[in-house]
Amino acid sequence: MPFPNVRLSNRPLHFIYLCDCSGSMAAQGKMQALNQAIRQSLPGMAEVARENPEARVLVRALRFADRAEWHLEQPTPVDHLQWRDLEAGGITAMGEALERLAGVLQSPPMEERALPPVLVLISDGQPTDDFETGLATLMRQPWAQKAVRLAIALGHDADLEVLQQFIGPEPPGGGRSPRRPLQASNATSLAQYIQWASTAVVGAASMPASQVQGATSGGNIPLPDLPPTVLDPTDDVGPLVW
Amino acid sequence: MTGLLPEGANLRFEGLDQPLQILRALGGGTQGQVYAVDCGGEQLALKWYLPACLARDPQLPRRLRQSIALGAPNGDFLWPLALLEPTAASRPLIRHPKAGFGYLMALRPAGFVGAHQHAGGQLEISLQNVLRACFHLADGFHHLHLKGLCYKDISLGNLFLEPSSGRVLICDNDNVDIDGQGGGSVLGTPGFMAPEVLLKQAKPGASSDLFSLAVLIFRLITRHDPFRGQRELAIRCLDEPARRRLYGEEALFIFDPNDPGNRPHPEEHAAAVVTWPIYPRPLQQLFEQCFGPGLRHPDQRPLTGQWTQQLSRCLDQRQLCPHCGQETFPAPAAPGACWQCGTPLPPPLQLQLAHGRVTAAAGNELHRHHAEPWAPITLDQPLARLVSHPEDPQLLGLQNLSGETWQGELIHGQTIDLAPGKTCNLAALQQLRSDAGPITVLRP
Repeated sequence: MPFPNVRLSNRPLHFIYLCDCSGSMAAQGKMQALNQAIRQSLPGMAEVARENPEARVLVRALRFADRAEWHLEQPTPVDHLQWRDLEAGGITAMGEALERLAGVLQSPPMEERALPPVLVLISDGQPTDDFETGLATLMRQPWAQKAVRLAIALGHDADLEVLQQFIGPEPPGGGRSPRRPLQASNATSLAQYIQWASTAVVGAASMPASQVQGATSGGNIPLPDLPPTVLDPTDDVGPLVW
Repeated sequence: MTGLLPEGANLRFEGLDQPLQILRALGGGTQGQVYAVDCGGEQLALKWYLPACLARDPQLPRRLRQSIALGAPNGDFLWPLALLEPTAASRPLIRHPKAGFGYLMALRPAGFVGAHQHAGGQLEISLQNVLRACFHLADGFHHLHLKGLCYKDISLGNLFLEPSSGRVLICDNDNVDIDGQGGGSVLGTPGFMAPEVLLKQAKPGASSDLFSLAVLIFRLITRHDPFRGQRELAIRCLDEPARRRLYGEEALFIFDPNDPGNRPHPEEHAAAVVTWPIYPRPLQQLFEQCFGPGLRHPDQRPLTGQWTQQLSRCLDQRQLCPHCGQETFPAPAAPGACWQCGTPLPPPLQLQLAHGRVTAAAGNELHRHHAEPWAPITLDQPLARLVSHPEDPQLLGLQNLSGETWQGELIHGQTIDLAPGKTCNLAALQQLRSDAGPITVLRP
């Protein structure tokens, strides 16, 4: 006879992309690179979701340009997710995006019990609306305070200061840290960061990983190491996409 | 995955006569990446560390060398076989400015799946094989501890099991060290760490292994967590500070006999409510001991030998419900009712050996430790197995798995010979004279 058909009860883990779709994203294939990076990351994300019996991984995406609107509004189990391409055009209503995000992080609609949400903000420029008010609205939500907030800066024109404000206080010392904006200067590094956020970070937020002394601390979830900067044979020729 | 090692290439390593061909990437984690490699026609697995790993854990090569020199505790470990550092000529082929290092081990055979799949309810596996897996896990740790070693970081993540047999493989043996040598950097995995390690009051060692082992056995036999009861429901966001309270500062076993303050919720924690009553009291008492007094007093935790003893006894009293066919594990003297359908269980037929008694149910096995007082408890080489007749499942027989012919005495006084591999019908049997001593049929 098989083992009884029961399992550890799980909690939802909300993973939300906030994607800059302003006009500048149309340049040098950045929009296409982001669409590709997210699409390519889904199988790995689905695998992590399957391996974490304690979590129910649900994905959403918010786009912001002239306005902020849901690109994927329904919290979608990652293995059912079909990524529709984002399109670029307009300005950068990042503040409004944070307000929209605040709306879904209040309970309800947030479940009473959940794992820390993972919020990934991706931008190549500067907000054109009231970012401060948007951020303040967001950070009044307890679930936003508990969330793992990551930011990816695309190219060299991204506003690192604004992205750091979204993440929280800058960690002491220098160097790469998941608690600083991740700077993606080409399509390869963008794909690596998206993959890292959607697998390693989802894993850490849903099922605690093995811990070592002196690991990245601060925040309510110990964040995994960033992907190594692997020597890519194409690195020598400079950025491929922009 | 962006590979550190180039697939298809032949890499040479110090001290290794032949090059290793990197066949394919098998997986990656926060520590490094694992590759299938060909070593002179033999396929092995190679774990390659990210250089950041060595910076954080400078003792890693010393521990690996030590483990390689000491050898695997038993066959249940995917143990390091050789430490590898690339030759000067091979270093440029590795896609990282600091080439790093790795170790060779056996490939995980097909059929073994991650224990998290069982915990997640994605696996078809019998209760008998779950208990066997727990036995092999405890037995592996028994041998590891007997060698003076400790593992430090056992969790669902580094255990693999074979659902068809209950065999296990314990992986990621790179934190293994001599117990009491506090050089390593690993602390463990929250949810499995002993409270004193989670609260940073002690370093992981053999006594914290005993706690983690009990958590892992509990998670395997219940598909639930020993500390997730009412107190978990009060937690809105299950993050690190919340886990520290749940598993450390305010830890309370959900079935604590003296404090019902953290009982499982009938719906939210259904797995615990359904599965806990399946198991016999002596096994339940080991958990009560480990997660009660043993929570704060490491010296009061049950030892590996107590787990193997109770798990093997539990397997010995496995009985099938005559109504629904479910596996049950009642005390033969007072079988009670089937945990699944509630049908009263009849007192079972049993087989008496010199040092043990086994309930007669298809699939149960007789072992040397049932016959000899000093034989180690093992499930590896059964003397005999209870089997159903292939055409009439109601007929139960005992199959001789030894290499000797046994003599049987039937209830009417006749005698028979039972050659190796043959099965005799228990309905007619009184006693067997085996090479391990007499096997007597006890009728209720």
